[in-house]
Amino acid sequence: MLPEFDLVMPRSLNEALQVLAAGSPEVLPIAGGTNLTVDMRSGRYEPKVVVDIEKLPELKGIRRENGQICVGGGVTIAELLKDGLVAETAPVLKSACALFANPLIRNRATVGGNLVDGSPAADTAPSLLALDAEIELTSQDGKRRLPLDEFFIHVRKTARQPNELVTALRWALPKPGTGSAFYKLGLRKADAISVVSVAVVLEAEKGVCRKARIALGSVAPRPVRAKNAEEFLTGKLLKKEVFEEAAALTAQAVSPISDVRASAEYRRRMSAVLTRRMLEQAAEQTGWKE
Amino acid sequence: MSYVGKSITRIDAEAKVKGEALYPGDFNLPNQAYMKILFANRPHAIVKRIDTARAKALPGVLAIFTAKDVPVNEYGLIMPDQPVLCGPGSSKPYADRVRFIGDQVALVIAENEEIAAQARDLIEVEYEDLPVLTDVHQAMESTENLLHPDRGSNVFCHYRIRKGDTEAAFSQADVIVEGEYHTPVQEHAYLQPEAGIGYIDEEGRVTIVVAGQWTHEDRKQIAHALNLPEEQVRVIYPAIGGAFGGREDMSIQIVLALATWRLSQQGINRPVKIIWSREESIIGHHKRHPYHIYARWGATKEGKVIAAEVKLIADGGAYAYTSTKVLGNATLMCTGPYEIPNVKVDSYAVYTNSIPNGAFRGFGGPQGAFAAEMQMNKLAERLGMDPVELRLRNVLREGSLLSVGTPLPKGVSIAQVVENCAKRAGWKQTSNGWEFDREKHPSLKLQKSNLRRGIGFACSFKNVGFSFGAPEQCQATIELRGKGEIEEAVLYHAGAEVGQGVHTVLIQMAAEALGVPIEKVRLIASDTATSGDSGSVSASRMTFMAGNAIRGAAKLALERWRNEERPAVGHYQYRPPRTTPYDPETGKSEPNFAYGYVAEAVELEVDIETGQIRLLNVICADDVGQAVNPQLVQGQIEGAVVQAAGYAILENFVQQNGEVLTRGLSTYLIPTVLDIPDRVESLILEYPDPIGPFGARGMGEMPYLPLVPAVASALHDATGVWFNEFPLTPERVLFGLTKSEE
Ligand SMILES: Cc1cc2nc3c(=O)[nH]c(=O)nc-3n(C[C@H](O)[C@H](O)[C@H](O)COP(=O)(O)OP(=O)(O)OC[C@H]3O[C@@H](n4cnc5c(N)ncnc54)[C@H](O)[C@@H]3O)c2cc1C
Repeated sequence: MLPEFDLVMPRSLNEALQVLAAGSPEVLPIAGGTNLTVDMRSGRYEPKVVVDIEKLPELKGIRRENGQICVGGGVTIAELLKDGLVAETAPVLKSACALFANPLIRNRATVGGNLVDGSPAADTAPSLLALDAEIELTSQDGKRRLPLDEFFIHVRKTARQPNELVTALRWALPKPGTGSAFYKLGLRKADAISVVSVAVVLEAEKGVCRKARIALGSVAPRPVRAKNAEEFLTGKLLKKEVFEEAAALTAQAVSPISDVRASAEYRRRMSAVLTRRMLEQAAEQTGWKE
Repeated sequence: MSYVGKSITRIDAEAKVKGEALYPGDFNLPNQAYMKILFANRPHAIVKRIDTARAKALPGVLAIFTAKDVPVNEYGLIMPDQPVLCGPGSSKPYADRVRFIGDQVALVIAENEEIAAQARDLIEVEYEDLPVLTDVHQAMESTENLLHPDRGSNVFCHYRIRKGDTEAAFSQADVIVEGEYHTPVQEHAYLQPEAGIGYIDEEGRVTIVVAGQWTHEDRKQIAHALNLPEEQVRVIYPAIGGAFGGREDMSIQIVLALATWRLSQQGINRPVKIIWSREESIIGHHKRHPYHIYARWGATKEGKVIAAEVKLIADGGAYAYTSTKVLGNATLMCTGPYEIPNVKVDSYAVYTNSIPNGAFRGFGGPQGAFAAEMQMNKLAERLGMDPVELRLRNVLREGSLLSVGTPLPKGVSIAQVVENCAKRAGWKQTSNGWEFDREKHPSLKLQKSNLRRGIGFACSFKNVGFSFGAPEQCQATIELRGKGEIEEAVLYHAGAEVGQGVHTVLIQMAAEALGVPIEKVRLIASDTATSGDSGSVSASRMTFMAGNAIRGAAKLALERWRNEERPAVGHYQYRPPRTTPYDPETGKSEPNFAYGYVAEAVELEVDIETGQIRLLNVICADDVGQAVNPQLVQGQIEGAVVQAAGYAILENFVQQNGEVLTRGLSTYLIPTVLDIPDRVESLILEYPDPIGPFGARGMGEMPYLPLVPAVASALHDATGVWFNEFPLTPERVLFGLTKSEE
C-alpha cells in the first residue's frame, strides 16, 4: 500500500527546485515513478512531499550542443531508443535501452531516475560511463557538471545533493574509428535485472587502440569501469590475445557478490567472457581488420 | 450437426478479452469489510501466547479470530494434519505450532484494508522457536525432531513395488546405468493471486466466492472445520485466473468462511473480502514437490530393459496436502511407459519445514518421467543404440504388464505416439531400426565457436482421473425446456473453468450428445447450490469425466423429453471402472482407468561460454483420443510446453532454512514471450479411448511430462554432458560443463 504524501506539480524547473530546496530531504522528485512508487510501497522511502518533474520541459529533449550530445534528465528510455541522434552517435546506449525492462516500463522510466536510483544494475549506466558522459546537476544555487564516474558512490548512494535535480547528460560526438558494444546477461530475455552487463567503447586508428572504455553493471557496489583493462588496451594493436588479456584484467577489476540471481564466481567469469566479446564486436566496428 | 472436433470460439473469450469477466477479486458488495491474515513468518515454533488487545483497540477493527475460534481446527485434502489457524486454545493437540512461514495465525477483519493491515501488525505473538528441518534425508532419520509429534515419524507415506527379481536380472544385464536425480520446487505463478468474498446468502448459507478447483470439496473442508452441515455452506467459482493444481488445497477458503460466519454470529452481517498480494500468494500456497531420485536400470545388449530399481524421496514440506497421491503417481511413472519384467521401487514422502508441496500440473509425473527418461537416454548411449529404437523395443503394448503387475486399460498407443513424434523430428525407420542421421540435419551443425546445438527425445504416459482406489465420479444435470421442440437445454455442472476452456468443451459435448444446436445450450456452472459434485479439475480428468456424465444426463433427459415430460430433466452420475490401491508389500494394483500418451523432441542451442540455453523447436505428439476442440487442445499443449520450459531452464524457487528468498515475480522468474521456445509444434493424434466420451482422453498435463528430460538429452547431444539436476540456469550449465572438462 502506498503511504500518504502530498504531490506537488510544478510548472517550471525553478518552481521544482524551490520546493526541493524548501523541504529536502523530506521531499523527493518523481519522474517515471518506476522505482519510487515501488520503494514507497515497500516502505524504503517515505517522502512527505513528492514533486512531479515528469512534464518539465527543461528536462526534455535530445540535441546536439557544442560538439556534444545533450540529453535531458527527464528523457525516457523509450525516447532514447527511438531517437535518430542516439542511434547514430551512441549506439551503445541504444543497445542498453533495447534490453531495458519491457516496453511499458520503458515508456515511463527516465534516464535521470535510472542514475539517481543508484543501483549497480542500472542499465543505462555502463553505456553512459563508456561514453565518458558528464552529468549536470541543478539546484537553486546553480548548475554543476561532473563526470558520471564521480557521480556513483555506492549502492543507492550518489553525489547528488537532496536539493539537486539531474537536468542533463552530455557526451562527445564519436571520433572516426570508434566502435562500441553492449550486452546484458539476465536470467531471462526481458524484464530481468542484469546479472552482468558490459559496455565497451573503443577508438582506434589503423588497428591501434587510442582510447578504451570498459564499464560494467551488477559486479560491484556501483556501476564500474575496468580502468586497468582500459589502460592496458591503450596503444595496443586490437587482436584476439589482447582482448583476452583485457578481459582477464576486467575480471580482476570487479568485486561481485553472490545473491539469488547468481554467484560471485559466475559474475566474475561472465565479466571476462562478455568483455572479450564486446571488445571483439567493438573492434570490428572501428573498421580495421586483423 | 457435429460439435465434437470443432474449434468453436471459447464461450468466455469475449468477456475475458474485454476485461468484463469477473475474477474473485473483482467482486464488491455493499458494506463489505476487509480481512488480513497474520502469517507465522517463521518456519517452526510453538505459539505460546497471542495478544490481540492493542489490535482490537484500533478504531475500525471489527473482529480478530484465532485458533480458539475454529470449531474443528484441522483440514487437509488427504489427511487433516494442518490447523486452520495455529495457536493456543485449539480444539486439537499440536495445533499450537507453526511449521512453515505461511502458516496462518490470526484473522483481522476491519473497515478497510489499511486498518486491517495496521491491526495485523499490532498483534503480539510470543513464539518458542523449534529446530528447523529442511533436509529430507535428515528429516527421515530424525526421531527427536518431529514436525507432527503425534505421528511418530517425519516419513508420512511409503510405497513399495516388487515385481520379479531385480537382483537376478541385474546379474544378467549387459549394461547397468545408475543415476541420482534431483528435481526442483516450482511455483504455480497463476496470474490471479488468491482472493474472494464471503457473505451469508438469502438462504442463510455461509457463502464464499473464490477460485478453486473443486467446489464440493472446498465446501466439505469448510463444513468440517466450521462443524456445519455441508448444506449450510455454499461455494461459488467465478472466472478463475489459472490454477495448475495450486488451488486444489485450501488457501483462503476456510478462513474466509470462518470470518464471515463468526462475524454474523456476533450480529455483524457484513460481507468480508480478501485479496492476497503476490508475496502472500507465494508463501501461502503449496508448490511442486522437489524429489531426490536414485535409479539403477539394467538392459541386455539387444536393448531390452530387464531390471529397474528406483528410490524416490519427496519433500512434502510442512503438511501432507496431496503428497501421498503425488507420490503414488511418481512411483508408477518413475519406470516410464515401459514393460520391465523386474522392478523394485521404494518411495517416501517426508515432512520438513519448507513450504508444503502438493498438486501441480503432472502431479508427480514430471519428476518420475525425468528419472525414467534420463535413464533410458543414458542406456541408449551406453548401448550405442538410437534412443527412439530403444524405446520402441520396450514400450508398453496392449496387454503388457505395468510395474504393478497389471495391464494398462485398452487403447495403449505409446508406440504409435513415439513413432509419429520421431518421424516428424526427422527420424527414419531403416532396416536397422529407427535412426537419426545428424548429417542430414544441417541446422544442428551450426557451430559458432561458442554455440552448440543438440536434439533430444523423451516420452511419457499420464493417468486420466483419480488413481489407486480413490473414489471417482462426476455428475451432470441437463434440463430440456420448450414445448414441441427443445428451445433451451440447460446444463448444470460444477466443473471449474480455470482458463483451460472446459466450459466451452462441456457445452460442445452437451450439444453433440443432445443433437441440438449449440446456441441452445446454456451452462450454469460451478456453484454448489445448483450442481452436483463433479470432482476436481485435476488429473487431466474433467473432459473425460464430465463428457461421460453429460452423455448419461443427455440420454436420460431425451428419454423424458420423448415421454412428454416438460421440462425434461436428466441427472447422471458417471462412475468409471474401479481402481485399486498399492498392495503394501508388492504394490500390485490396478492404478488407473485411462491414460494419455505423449512424446517430445526438442532442439536447442547452448552458449558454452555463458551457459545460456535457447529452445529452438519442440515437437509434441499427444494422443488425445478425440480432440473435442482442437484449438483448445493446441492451447493446452503449447501452455504445458511453455510452463515445462520454465521448469526446465529458468524457474528457480530459493528457500533457505525455511525462509523464501524468491518472494516476488522479480526474483522468481517465469518465462516471458521472448523466453519460450522459438517454435512449438503440436501433433494431435486421435487413437480413441474405448471408454472416453466420443473417444476422448484427458490431456491437460501430459505435454508437460517429457519436456525436461528431452531438454536434458538435447543438452547432452550438444555438449556430451548429462545434467541430472535442473533448472538448467546459465550458471548451472556453465559450471556443469566446466566440471566435466576437469
Ligand atoms: C518492472 C520493472 C522493470 C525494471 N527493469 C529495469 C531494467 O531492466 N533496467 C534498469 O536499469 N532498471 C529497471 N527498472 C528500474 C527503473 O525502471 C529504472 O531505474 C528507471 O530508469 C527509473 O526511472 P524513473 O523515471 O521511473 O525514476 P523514479 O522512480 O521517478 O525515480 C527514481 C529515483 O530517482 C529520483 N529522481 C528521478 N528523476 C530525477 C531527476 N531528474 N533528478 C534527481 N532525482 C531524480 C527519484 O526521487 C527517485 O529517488 C525496472 C523497474 C520496474 C518496475
